[in-house]
Amino acid sequence: MTAGRESARPGNGIGSAEAPGVPSEPGPLARHILSLADTKRLLGIRYSDWLLGSPSLETGIAASSMAQDEWGHARLLYSMLKRLGFDPVAVEQDRPADRYYSAPALDAPFPDWAAFVAATVVVDGALAVALESFSHGNFALARSRVPKMLAEEEYHRQFGAAWFARLAGAGGEGAEHLERAARAMLPATLAWLLPDDSAYEAVVAECDIWEADRVGERYRDRVGAALGGVGIRLEEIRPAREGWDSERRRGPGAPGKEAVERARGDRNRALFVE
Amino acid sequence: MSGSGRGGGRGGGRIEGAVDAGGGAERTARTGLHEGIYEVFARKRRGDALRHIGYIDAPGDELARVYAWKTYDEENWFEMCVVPRSAILPVNRSDGPWAGNR
Repeated sequence: MTAGRESARPGNGIGSAEAPGVPSEPGPLARHILSLADTKRLLGIRYSDWLLGSPSLETGIAASSMAQDEWGHARLLYSMLKRLGFDPVAVEQDRPADRYYSAPALDAPFPDWAAFVAATVVVDGALAVALESFSHGNFALARSRVPKMLAEEEYHRQFGAAWFARLAGAGGEGAEHLERAARAMLPATLAWLLPDDSAYEAVVAECDIWEADRVGERYRDRVGAALGGVGIRLEEIRPAREGWDSERRRGPGAPGKEAVERARGDRNRALFVE
Repeated sequence: MSGSGRGGGRGGGRIEGAVDAGGGAERTARTGLHEGIYEVFARKRRGDALRHIGYIDAPGDELARVYAWKTYDEENWFEMCVVPRSAILPVNRSDGPWAGNR
């Protein structure tokens, strides 16, 4: 919104030019980017688990495409860290699970298709709103790169809304599983989306992203109607802030070992081409 | 950023007997949820002819749009649209995939 947006960067904790690599004490903006990028990377992995075994061939193809969208978006977000003095490749490939900033709802695989559908609304919706906020701030790379991500995310929104309504409308066991999965994901996801800490306030102040109230309002607009299909009223869900890790901008826990190995590419590292 | 290389279309490779040739909603026995067939049309550039590129199964218009866009993403399409197979009226053949709509 102002000239010199590209210089918008918090001054504390950024890795020095002498020791680039994995952020040891990332500043608020770097943490914000890591939170978005890691969540996209893990969401892509969880989507990819359903390339086969989803309800129809078309659904599996959509899951594949959405997984690749998430990984592409994650890579673009990681690359923004270079502007802050970090080595994006090291960030992607060298962190242990307990250094991931991803939303806790993605720590474990989805147990069933209903959980996949719940995540397309609850988690993917939260990511989209967080990105929308980021794109309206003054960090130049977000303003230039995020709008295309949001355009691609529109198909994720349509997919999630249609499948959520389909399962909710069918009733029975599917609707019960869907409600259970959404209720399980929401508290931690709300805490991830609406952090009540000074680091988020610092990003709001320095990068001019939306304040938490506006983010929450936008999230209700995006997912409230879908959740209502299984009787969930978003205003009745309390964010799970117990055990909040302000360093990683998330609740307790970490993504599973196998998912992190896939995220880092441990098994095909010898084949990496830069 | 969607995956590339899945394309090439898949309309020609489907086993016709697997679906109701007349199109329209069909009830899947296992889930009790409806699926229908949608024909997919697209053009690469403004002014190009709209051409048939394949078809997809979907439970409704909204998912039909998503599935078509995600399935036939081998090109950077200028325009894509889907049509319920049940809405297509055959003109000169009585043995084609849309014959049941006569």
